Parts: sequence; structure tokens; C-alpha cells
Amino acid sequence: MNRGVLGSAALAFSLACAAGSAFAQTAPQDGRAWLHKIYQATQDLSYTGTFVYQHDGRSETSRVTRLASPQGDIERLEVLDGEPREIVRSKDGVRCYLPQSRTLKVDRHSTGRRFPAMLPAQLTELLGYYRVRLGATDRVAGRACQRVSLEPNDSYRYGYELCADQATGMLLRSTTLSETKQPVEQFTFTHLEVGEVRPEAVAPPHATQAWHIEESSVRPADLGAQGWRVDADLPGFHKIVEVVRVLGAHEPVGQLVYSDGLAAVSVFIEAAEGRRDSVQRGAASIGGINIFVREVEDHIVTVVGEAPAASVRRIADHVRYERPK
Amino acid sequence: MKTKISAFVDGELEADELARVIESLGRDDASREAWRVYHLISDAVRDTALRTTEFSARLAEKLAAEPTVLAPGRLPAERARWIALSAAASVAAVALVGWLAFAPGPGLRPDVLPSTPLASLPAPSSVQPASIQAVQPVARQAVAVPLEAAVVPALPVSAQMADDYLFAHQEFSPRMSLQGMVPYVRTVSGPVTQGARQ
Repeated sequence: MNRGVLGSAALAFSLACAAGSAFAQTAPQDGRAWLHKIYQATQDLSYTGTFVYQHDGRSETSRVTRLASPQGDIERLEVLDGEPREIVRSKDGVRCYLPQSRTLKVDRHSTGRRFPAMLPAQLTELLGYYRVRLGATDRVAGRACQRVSLEPNDSYRYGYELCADQATGMLLRSTTLSETKQPVEQFTFTHLEVGEVRPEAVAPPHATQAWHIEESSVRPADLGAQGWRVDADLPGFHKIVEVVRVLGAHEPVGQLVYSDGLAAVSVFIEAAEGRRDSVQRGAASIGGINIFVREVEDHIVTVVGEAPAASVRRIADHVRYERPK
Repeated sequence: MKTKISAFVDGELEADELARVIESLGRDDASREAWRVYHLISDAVRDTALRTTEFSARLAEKLAAEPTVLAPGRLPAERARWIALSAAASVAAVALVGWLAFAPGPGLRPDVLPSTPLASLPAPSSVQPASIQAVQPVARQAVAVPLEAAVVPALPVSAQMADDYLFAHQEFSPRMSLQGMVPYVRTVSGPVTQGARQ
């Protein structure tokens, strides 16, 4: 084991030297340090790569490009198979381009809002619910990578099998494992170039003047004060965000997000008024995401989460409304 | 030469003549055309319409366009499972109905809610195909996560709804701290599977 780790450290070092990379570091020797290295790579690097997303018997290839810049990072995701779809994320918000239906979905960021970043504190929290282990070295997209497994301590959350680039820390493969250790989804890079990215590579790709534009925005909210309670008591999951989201001309939707530092579950609450039929309970899933819907006090509660169906359902079943006094 | 070719098609040539005919087929367009025509006649007589010139030309084109197939390996176990899941998904697709739950409607107004809770929800009158998928995992999970015994039916979810909620959810997922934009692909990635995951 020790020899393996030393060997991979030496390999990572020599690879980094060979690449003349500015990110050359010796490979960390424990899981926590590796997670930090992966996080740091995600925050710092410019890169372009092609990856395959496998889920539910399907596989789909996409390209992701990130330009790290002092003026603000820009990321662009292009689905390469089937109907063209693109997402561009910058400090101004997230834009989803659907050229076939000439639709642009714009999600503006309110001022000062930050994406949840995995801070060292969250890393410590996460380690309370997952066992982090270093595995063997492997090779993905022609690059040597270090396997890191995140094994959950209970069945409330999924497990993850990761492989991170030894030279840069970029996550080259990520497999989500069910309670029975079956893969439910997998992201695998088939090609990755880390380093210089031209600004054109992340430029808005379409002239959208004549497109149908759906704007949404979020603002902070206190849904608890309005009477909404979620007492699911899922170990480790605590509320990280509470907002009201306005989707186009639609009425506002409340959103509460619970997370254990790695997995997140969103609770959406909206009025059921104006619907012809009562909402039936129901479930659906896509890859590692489970969805549950039920009705609570004339409101539709939709729970969307990267967690086992039982956990997502448990949260859905514990949403209740108490009339404020 | 045409007579010879005809004889060749019928398999009635002697060895020395055979060599000459084959040679002429190699260099002479007229001979090759005759070869095709005689074969056509021969096919027509035997009523095998497949061996037409058009067909052989198309086949040649197809073969030329075909990539070299390197022997495909066996699917690893995990892929086999995904394919099984996809079969389940196609069964579930039968259950997909137009669902308008997320059509525009009045918004969050807890202040105008009735004070009596509507706790019990009507059980679905008919069990949809995909709900069969849902029974087992719920039962298996019962020890670790106490759940109601009720069968969870497939959600007649619209693609539009799934997209919007996945999109709204993704933004707050800490996994982006480890993977950047990559997990966002889920928000634009094809149909959802109905029913609870196995």
C-alpha cells in the first residue's frame, strides 16, 4: 500500500513535470487531501474535455470547457449527441440554450449569491458521513488517475467511486453507487486538456434575438415563517439554502435545499390552485437523481435529490404546513 | 466473348477458357456488363431478385462505409444492469401521460390556505406498470429507513417539469465543487425513468 502511494506520488510528480504544469504537486497521501485537491482543481483550472454520461441504459457524450479568469470564470457545457443543448455558466447566471426549439432559459443570480463551495469545514462534515479511501491507481482518458472511494456510513446516501487526475486533481471519472453498490450513473472523461482556453471557446454560441426567452430568478425567502416545516431528520442533511424562485410568468416556487456536504436534495413548494385534478403521489428518477411528488395542503411538493429513493421520499413525506399564529 | 461469359455463368466452361474469360472480366467493361446481365437472367429464372446490380452496388457502398469492427468485448456487469434498467424505463414509458401539474397557477399563498389539513391522499385506483418496479426497493429499505407501506406509483412527469426542477436543483448541488459543470448535463439529458429507482 505504502509503496503504491509513493509510486503514484512519484508518477504524478513525473507526469506533472513532463507536462510542465503549473499545478505540479506531489500526490496527497490521504483521502481528505485528495478531495481538497479535486475541489481546488475544479475552482482553479482552465480546461476543455469530452465526457460520457451514462445512466438508465443510456449514454451521452458532452463537451465541457472552463475558462478561469480574474474577470470571472466562465463554463460551457455542450451536449454532443442528439438534440443540441448547451449551458453556459458565468458570474451573471446560468443560460441554457435549446436551439431546436429556439428557447433560451436564463437563470439570473441575485447579487452576492455564491454557488456552494466545498470549504474545508464542509469537507470535515462530509467525512462524518462517508468513509474516504484511496484505491489503486488507474488510467482514464489517457491520464494516470488516483481512485478515491466515498463509502456512506448508512443507507441514506449514495456512495461514490472517483478517479482523479494525478497531475492536476481533475475528476476524470465519477460513479454513483446505490445502496447495493450498483452504479446508477457515471461521468467519464474520454479526453481532457488542461491549460490554456481561448475566450471564444466559452463565448455565447447563438444569436438569440428571435428566441423564446424564459427568465427565472431567485431571491432569499423564509418559508419557515410562512408555515412550512421539513422534519425529515435524515442524519447529516441540513438546510443550506432557502429561496423563492420565479420562473417566467409563473407564480413563485419555494425551494429549500438540504445537503450533507456532498449530496443535495431540493424541496420545491408551489400552490396547487388552478389545477383540474388532485395531484397524485408519484416517483421518477434520472441517473442518480430521484424525484417524489405529493400534495400538502393544496400545494404541490416536489422533492428532487441526489440521494436514494428512500431518502428523497422520506424528506417528501415530512414536508408539512402549520398555519402561522 | 458473351457466349463464353454465359457459359461461365452456367458453370459450363473448360479450365483454359475460364482463365481467358476471367481475364476479360478484369479489363473489359463490356464483358463485366455481360457478366451482370447473365447473372440477372440467371437470378430471374431462379426467382432470386436479390442479386441485382443495384443491390451489389449498394452493398459495396455500405461495406466501404462500414467502420472496421474490432471484436466487441462482453459488457461488464454494471452495463448489463443499465440495459436492464433501460428495459424497465421503456415499460415505464407506457405509463407516461401528459401531466399538467406544473402549468402556471397561483403561487405560494399559505395565508389563504384552509386550516384543516388534507393529510390523507387518495390512493391511485389503478397500478401503473412502472409501480411494480417501486414495490421491491421500498420493502428492501424498510429496515434502514422506515416508510409507509403504500406503493409509490410512477410519476406522470413531463419533460419540461423535470428539466426546470433539475435545473433549479443543480445550481445548489455541492457536487459542482468537485465536478464543475459536468453534473449539469443531467438537466438536459433525456427522459426520466418513471417509478422509484430499484
